[in-house]
Amino acid sequence: MNYSKQYRPLSYWGRINAVWYRHARVYNSDFLSNAFPPFLEPLIFLAGLGIGFGAYIQTMGTVNYLLFLASGIVVTSSMYTASFECTYGTFIRLEFDLIYDGMLGAPLSPSDLILGEVLFAASKGWLFALAVLIVTWLLGIITTPWSFLASFIGFICGLMFATLSLWITSVVKNINHFNFYFTGLLSPMFFFSGAVFPLENLPAAMRYVAEVIPLTHVVRMARAFCIPGGIGWYLLSDLGYCLIFILVTGVMALRGLKKRMID
Amino acid sequence: MDDWAIKISHLNKSYGSVMAVNDLSFDVHRAECFGLLGPNGAGKSTAMKIIYGKALPNPSRETTIDILGYNPLTDPLTIKAFSGIVPQEDNLDSELNVTDNLLIYARFYGIKGAAAGRKIEELLHFMELEDKAKVKIRHLSGGMKRRLTIARALINDPLLLILDEPTTGLDPQVRHLIWNKLRDLKSRGVTVLLSTHYMEEAFQICDRIIIMDEGCKLLGGPPQQLLKDNLEEHVMEIYSPDCLRLDNTVWGKWPGLRHESFQDTTFVYSNNTQELVQLADSLPLTSYHVRQSNLEDLFLKVTGRGLNELQ
Repeated sequence: MNYSKQYRPLSYWGRINAVWYRHARVYNSDFLSNAFPPFLEPLIFLAGLGIGFGAYIQTMGTVNYLLFLASGIVVTSSMYTASFECTYGTFIRLEFDLIYDGMLGAPLSPSDLILGEVLFAASKGWLFALAVLIVTWLLGIITTPWSFLASFIGFICGLMFATLSLWITSVVKNINHFNFYFTGLLSPMFFFSGAVFPLENLPAAMRYVAEVIPLTHVVRMARAFCIPGGIGWYLLSDLGYCLIFILVTGVMALRGLKKRMID
Repeated sequence: MDDWAIKISHLNKSYGSVMAVNDLSFDVHRAECFGLLGPNGAGKSTAMKIIYGKALPNPSRETTIDILGYNPLTDPLTIKAFSGIVPQEDNLDSELNVTDNLLIYARFYGIKGAAAGRKIEELLHFMELEDKAKVKIRHLSGGMKRRLTIARALINDPLLLILDEPTTGLDPQVRHLIWNKLRDLKSRGVTVLLSTHYMEEAFQICDRIIIMDEGCKLLGGPPQQLLKDNLEEHVMEIYSPDCLRLDNTVWGKWPGLRHESFQDTTFVYSNNTQELVQLADSLPLTSYHVRQSNLEDLFLKVTGRGLNELQ
């Protein structure tokens, strides 16, 4: 039986876009309280660490300390925003508010919901990285025009932590378990990713651990675009790591969450 | 084009060791209102979820599911594109207001801009929610949420409307409003599949029903017909905390009367009211009344009056 165009589901991208649009609409519906923190956070960070430590440390290696710090925290807020969105946010939509149940009554599949969610979290990652960059541009800390490209590293960072977080969400039964993820995984990652101090002088064992941490690779890429002369072919291995990481955790997240969405 | 909207046969679904749906078969005509009746845990919701791909049936060669020519295992999106789903729990988007809920949902079907605006206005009017257009979901009453959920399911002008207990927990006014709207939709050619445990609801709006229990179909047909075929016309309810007096020595004298007891009430069935009144007169009764038997009696007769562990 053939039905008119009216009863055909949207195309693949149309469906993912519609899911993305839902999240964006919710985000925009409280624009003021959602728009300030991404700008405020880097300011607090740069003021706290920059003014405090900055009085003692002028350069980190060959780079001015403020520039080192600012270029390091471009993507850390992307990590946190994508992680919050895809842990607490997703869990509440899945288990408490039954938003996904409602959406699955429309012509959308579970993987549409998951991919839309990942893309939205990555978009937030881009936006948060851009906010940090705007603040550092205005303060005159980051000056190279290439630094605009670092915002897209925020997008990649958002993808990585969205897929990782969704995978974790797919196995979590109790919302409080996310505490382990944030304090046990993300906090140490923040410090041992090279965001606030360089990895070169760490003990060898810890340097290897740092190379396994996903955040290290996006911090390195983002910094390369923010520091004059930082761009080089060596970044391709970081990009490769990110792509593989996104693919593997993404497949795990898809498999786990589909099971929770379809009885 | 054939006349069937839904054709289901030999459908099975188990959760662990529990058979939620057990060899279920039923067909629904186009533009018919079809009711699934049964106590909580009878498998009504599960059967509905399978129709739109939210639950997967047990794999079996014998099972066939045909929803307007499509199979939910291979084409769930197409089925959802021409259907409207009203789930049992309200799952409106609590982070958005009434209009935005419909706007976002319209987008899932590719309805945007002015077309979406017109449709939303029409639906808010249809479900009598015009003055709630900008209200947050958490400020709506249960009846309003339910009406909005139905409005949401109508955003694509569905050919098939699936409602899981649409009026559970609602007051009589809202219930009657929803029944009217469903009759209206049916007259416009929409096929309606609903589940309920309100017998009056089934009687009021369903053309045909099936009664389910523990995943199995027990009876099926038009409600009036089912009553006529399976139950005496009248029933007398005798309320007495000490039912013991109505023992076999009493029933032995009234061989034509069927009776059963449930908690403190004894139900006596007959096609002859005279007989029931004579029985009442012969007993030292203080509290009884004779009435027409209804679908609820039939429901309780076939599903049993006791509670099962899922209720």
